[in-house]
Amino acid sequence: MTERHANPEDSDLYALGALDGEEKQAYEAHVRSCAACSQELKAARERVALLALAVDPEAPGPKVKERLMRRVRLEAAGGTPWERRDAGKRRKENPILAGWGWLTPALALTTIFFAAVAGWMGMQDVRDVGRLHAVEGELAQAQQHSFEIARTAAETDKLLSMPGTVRVALKAMPGMPQGRAGVLYNAKMGMVTCAGYLPAAPPKKSYQLWLVPMQGNPVSLRVLPAGEWTQPMTTHVAPGMEAKAFAVTEEPEGGMPQPTGPKVLLGVGE
Amino acid sequence: MTALLQPIPDSALIERMMAGDEQALATLYDRYAGMLFGMLMRILKDTQLAEEVLQDLFLQLWRESGRFDATRGSLPGWLLVIARNRAISRLRGQHRRAPADDPEGFLLESLPSPGNLEEEAARLQLAERLRRAMATLPGEQREALELAYFEGMTQTEIAERTRAPLGTVKSRVRAAMQTLKQHLQ
Repeated sequence: MTERHANPEDSDLYALGALDGEEKQAYEAHVRSCAACSQELKAARERVALLALAVDPEAPGPKVKERLMRRVRLEAAGGTPWERRDAGKRRKENPILAGWGWLTPALALTTIFFAAVAGWMGMQDVRDVGRLHAVEGELAQAQQHSFEIARTAAETDKLLSMPGTVRVALKAMPGMPQGRAGVLYNAKMGMVTCAGYLPAAPPKKSYQLWLVPMQGNPVSLRVLPAGEWTQPMTTHVAPGMEAKAFAVTEEPEGGMPQPTGPKVLLGVGE
Repeated sequence: MTALLQPIPDSALIERMMAGDEQALATLYDRYAGMLFGMLMRILKDTQLAEEVLQDLFLQLWRESGRFDATRGSLPGWLLVIARNRAISRLRGQHRRAPADDPEGFLLESLPSPGNLEEEAARLQLAERLRRAMATLPGEQREALELAYFEGMTQTEIAERTRAPLGTVKSRVRAAMQTLKQHLQ
């Protein structure tokens, strides 16, 4: 029996992504069952990949590397890349903990919101003063939110650039809900930034983040949102307090002055 | 003394990244960003878009470094395949056909990665040979190849754009690839 092979030009076209229609389907079906054509396709793919080298290299702007490394540093606070990849399999990756990429769209959305409201106000015959006040309230809220985002971004940048900043990955305690969080802490500055994910809390319960100092009682940092990825949040504590660990505990709704419930997440300093 | 001059192999940098070493990623970025950005700019012709794709690519490398098996292929080959696919997707929009991230990219063996200075030199020589080979192609062959590679067009689209019969487009692409193959041997 004579074995028929695919047309040689189809391998090149397929490797380029240029083969289309029925020819593409027929080619794919053939390659799946033909070792020789499969090998030919592999060689074609290698040749095609090399085409990129025909372009002269070009240096990207220095800010690209800076932004990349900033995102990576924040992510590193949440564990090694490999650990995060495994975590990512269990849930859709979160753009917030993943870095600051969310900031641009968030600000853009806020801007669009401002523009939309301004346009709406310009076009409408505003007869309902109550509605106007409601819109003004939303506008102020959105503006405040955008300031918060910008402020937290600036604080985190500052934190990352300061000597003595430690990164702590908080991981789920055995048998507890599968959350995780990353903390950046600078004892000298008395500044903590955290971001992370916690599943929904039990009814009438809250998750609370604590700084466990080398000496003395745990210090409450904040009650964390549950059931969603949190935006990076900054908290200030008394400067000079060395941290032994950070922990998240389950507490009565609204939080407690001192931890009373079980530890959900725990991370020790570097 | 010589050891100090030898670049750290990609495989070692990948292992260090998997352990959370950010400097390893920075080294790989310095090594390949220029090569990738040149290609991304050629495809996208937009600095901001090209920088976004470049950053996302290295973030993916950081997050999924364990997916790359250095014993099966070269890292720059993998990066080039993924970068091109991403750029073509951006260029043609979300609703148009775009090549998927191709696992075959892992298997590319013909692109040396700098485990040592000789391999780095080999990569640079290869690039120079390709540039010369592309320059020798007849205009219509180079056009067909570039429309497919840098603009992500299908053979049908190339035929429409160049107003050439489909069979002619196939022949032009084939002839161009054969010429490049000869220059690379």
